[in-house]
Amino acid sequence: MLQHLLNGLTVGSIYALVALGYTLVYGILKFINFAHGDVLMIGTYVALMVFKGLKSFIEIPFAFGIAVLAGMLSSALLGVVIERLAYRPLRHAPRLAPLISAIGVSVILSNSAALIFGTKSQRFDMPFNNTPIHCGSLVVTPYQGLILITAFVMMALLHVFIKTTRTGKAMRASSENPLVAELMGVDTDRMIRFTFIWGSALGAIAGILVSLDYKVYPTLGSLIGLKAFIAAVVGGIGNISGAMLGGLLLGVLETYGVAVLGIPVGYKDTVAFVLLIIILLVRPSGLLGSNKRDKV
Amino acid sequence: MLKKISLFVFIVLMVMTLVSCKKQDATLNIGFSGPMTGDSANYGKLMSQAVQLAIDERNELGGIGGQIKLRMIAEDDEGKVDKANLVIEKLANVDHIVGLVGAVFSSCSLAIAPKCEQAQIVMISPSSTHKLLTSLGKYIFRNVLSDESQAKVFAKYVKDKLGYSKVAILNLKNDYSQGLADDFKTQFESDGGKIIGMESGLQGDKDFKTQLTKLWAKQPDAIFIPGYVNEMAQILQQAKDMGIKTHWLAADGFSNPEIFDLAGDLANGVIFSNSPDESSLGNAKKKDFETKYLSRFKQKPDSFSLNSYDAANILMDAMQFVYNEASPEDQKSANLNPAKIRNYVADLQDYPGVSGKITFLPNRDVQKNVGIFMADHKEFVQQGIYLIKDGQLLEVVE
Amino acid sequence: MSSFILLLGIYFGIYALLALGQNLITGKTGLLSLCQAAFMAIGAYTTAILLSRHPHLSFVYVGVWVILSGAIFGLLIGIPTLRLKGDYLAIASLGFGEIVKNVLLNADTLTGGPMGISLPIKSFDKGLFLGMVWLVVCLVLLGLIQLQRSHWGRGLEAIREDELAAQSVGLNTPLYKGAAFMIGAAISAMAGMLWALYHGSAIPQTFDSTLSIMVLCMVVLGGLGNYYGSLFGTMVIVVISELPRLLGFSAIIPAAVNQILFGIILVSLVILRQKKS
Repeated sequence: MLQHLLNGLTVGSIYALVALGYTLVYGILKFINFAHGDVLMIGTYVALMVFKGLKSFIEIPFAFGIAVLAGMLSSALLGVVIERLAYRPLRHAPRLAPLISAIGVSVILSNSAALIFGTKSQRFDMPFNNTPIHCGSLVVTPYQGLILITAFVMMALLHVFIKTTRTGKAMRASSENPLVAELMGVDTDRMIRFTFIWGSALGAIAGILVSLDYKVYPTLGSLIGLKAFIAAVVGGIGNISGAMLGGLLLGVLETYGVAVLGIPVGYKDTVAFVLLIIILLVRPSGLLGSNKRDKV
Repeated sequence: MLKKISLFVFIVLMVMTLVSCKKQDATLNIGFSGPMTGDSANYGKLMSQAVQLAIDERNELGGIGGQIKLRMIAEDDEGKVDKANLVIEKLANVDHIVGLVGAVFSSCSLAIAPKCEQAQIVMISPSSTHKLLTSLGKYIFRNVLSDESQAKVFAKYVKDKLGYSKVAILNLKNDYSQGLADDFKTQFESDGGKIIGMESGLQGDKDFKTQLTKLWAKQPDAIFIPGYVNEMAQILQQAKDMGIKTHWLAADGFSNPEIFDLAGDLANGVIFSNSPDESSLGNAKKKDFETKYLSRFKQKPDSFSLNSYDAANILMDAMQFVYNEASPEDQKSANLNPAKIRNYVADLQDYPGVSGKITFLPNRDVQKNVGIFMADHKEFVQQGIYLIKDGQLLEVVE
Repeated sequence: MSSFILLLGIYFGIYALLALGQNLITGKTGLLSLCQAAFMAIGAYTTAILLSRHPHLSFVYVGVWVILSGAIFGLLIGIPTLRLKGDYLAIASLGFGEIVKNVLLNADTLTGGPMGISLPIKSFDKGLFLGMVWLVVCLVLLGLIQLQRSHWGRGLEAIREDELAAQSVGLNTPLYKGAAFMIGAAISAMAGMLWALYHGSAIPQTFDSTLSIMVLCMVVLGGLGNYYGSLFGTMVIVVISELPRLLGFSAIIPAAVNQILFGIILVSLVILRQKKS
């Protein structure tokens, strides 16, 4: 039982990290960045390339550290560039127009990756020994530990940044009401840049963590992307704690639904989605979403 | 804006009509249809490279009849039926292909087969294992072992030679994997073996722990995991993490050398069925092909690439044969009778291909021996070549 | 070449039906739904299951069942809309789409699982089928335009503009929204029926969320709430996604470049459109 919870939380932490990227952008721009999954995929590839290039020269943990930083940096940069080129011209367009642009960008990125890095999936070797540790009946791999700790630290960092720094406050103000925030002297463009930097960098971390256990391939982003996007909405889109909670919940539901309810494994997704729809019906604005009343 | 776009579309249509009216030069085109982008892009890429290699080799020898060059037209069907239909229309009507290597996925092959039949294009699928495929027309062939013929030999091998009597199956929910699992089960049980558990996962799944837990609880002698390398690597890794020690069985999907990157040493000892390496029977083409392929594309070919290479070569042999019999005018204009090409392929017997000796049965399915392999330190070591005769497993030697 | 164009016309028509259904739900009524592919799957599988068991049923009879089952599933997803708005509805419907696909893949005895269902019918003549598809498109378009002019249509638009106000003047909004979903879903189910008939099969992989998102793109591109615009948006997407093949360079450049080109055209199209207006 506890084991399933642990497995679920690990999967969920990854969803949560990616969900943050969606929610941050949504909070301020009110649109779903469908290209987010592909941005994090590129970051993962960059990290992999750097890691492969460095690991024979310097010690593996250092090489891994540098690789992660490089991945985060490139994702962040890419996020900012995409915002500038593909989304900013549409800032005042009808609400759904940026969605088309995002899908275009997603197609461009995933196919560029196939062209540059090849269609063959590549393995991201674990930079450490992954022998499972047994604590009683509980089996924990160091890899799971890494995911949980990293996710927790990154989320805490983001939380502190948003709540305490000036920039963080300005970001919140912009997401609450961009017009008023701008009147109060907040540079909206700068705030939007920040959300893309944070979101994309966190996404890259999630991408790297996923591929340590799996592999790196050009369509890596789309699957995590969909699930994380759902997690973000269930938590209450635009709400940062909500995204974290939604991600963790989705991970646990997926693992639990099948393991505990005894439903055939193939129906794993059905179980998870039925539960999510029920949650939404009970809390129509997501778990932590603000329930703004319509004005007449 | 609206007008401009409409105008643009109109111009596109015009250009296209012109393009399609362009006079054909004297080349013969062989089509390839498969996924070249998206999740399965790598399969299409590996296979189209094999076709390209076969065609380039033939062109170096002068092409058909020493004068007509060959050309591969590879189109991306994205693994979707609608795209595959558009691809075959284009290949048939614009490129006037004489033969087709493809499609890769069964669903796409089933969709395009009627068009190939109608346009008299000889279609040889190197990878579609769906039962119904070759029944769709006289021009529809495949040179991949059907799920049934592969699973039959393998099930008998597992039962008779390996001596396992309790086997569990963990398959994927796609037509290839499910077909193999079902056929394996049928054969294994009819030989008195027991399938003590069957679980499935989805293609693209990363977590198979739940299924493994269930299967392991029933203490099987071995676990059969027909599928693709990504999922199989994942299964092997997770089984190791869970402390499961058993024998692993797989099918030709395991023959993709990518498995060694993905699963590392965990791949060692896995036993699987595949197209045979018949160098012991005086057919050394497989090794030769693999060396050429690796040096040119810096990648090792998978078993479907072997089939693609054979399919392209069989098509070209057929063209050469028909060319030799054609009138001088037809030779000059590269006008080859499609029915004769088709008949050549249908009558093919004991063709020594890189994927083993190939004979097409009257139902246009392939008859091949089955090789049993074991993965061992980045090599697939052949354990023996087998076929079924009168319901008995026979090892083929000499 | 002409049969390539005919085929493209068939797909254009089928996608156009999906786009029209989406436009009724999203453009006219203002409900952001992302499960056209699921409704289409319902239509395709209803057709496949009926025809594979009773090969001699008339298409009209099958069509009635397809419309009915589409409407029922439309209602099923329509019910949550009574509580959900905007992106929350989008997610619920996206989830619904995933559930449908997941069930199709796993309910082997009914749906044939990953292999899908093959139909015991002969393949159609392209010209004839094209006519059939566009007859359906025209009828649906006619019906939708009639609906738009009616009392009902104005009710839907009132809901899109301001749901609370609509409610306060006595409009039964749940009824209107549920009906919009039912009709939209039934139209998409018809698209699914045509799809299954033309391909002679129904397989689960066709009906994934990417398709639903693409359909939304078509509608947005053509302008929300404008039915002719939806046809136009569909045409644009269909043509640019086949542009390399239409111009004859698809096999010359790498396949990934074809896709990248599609992405670039899509992005520039939206941005140019915005700059013009």
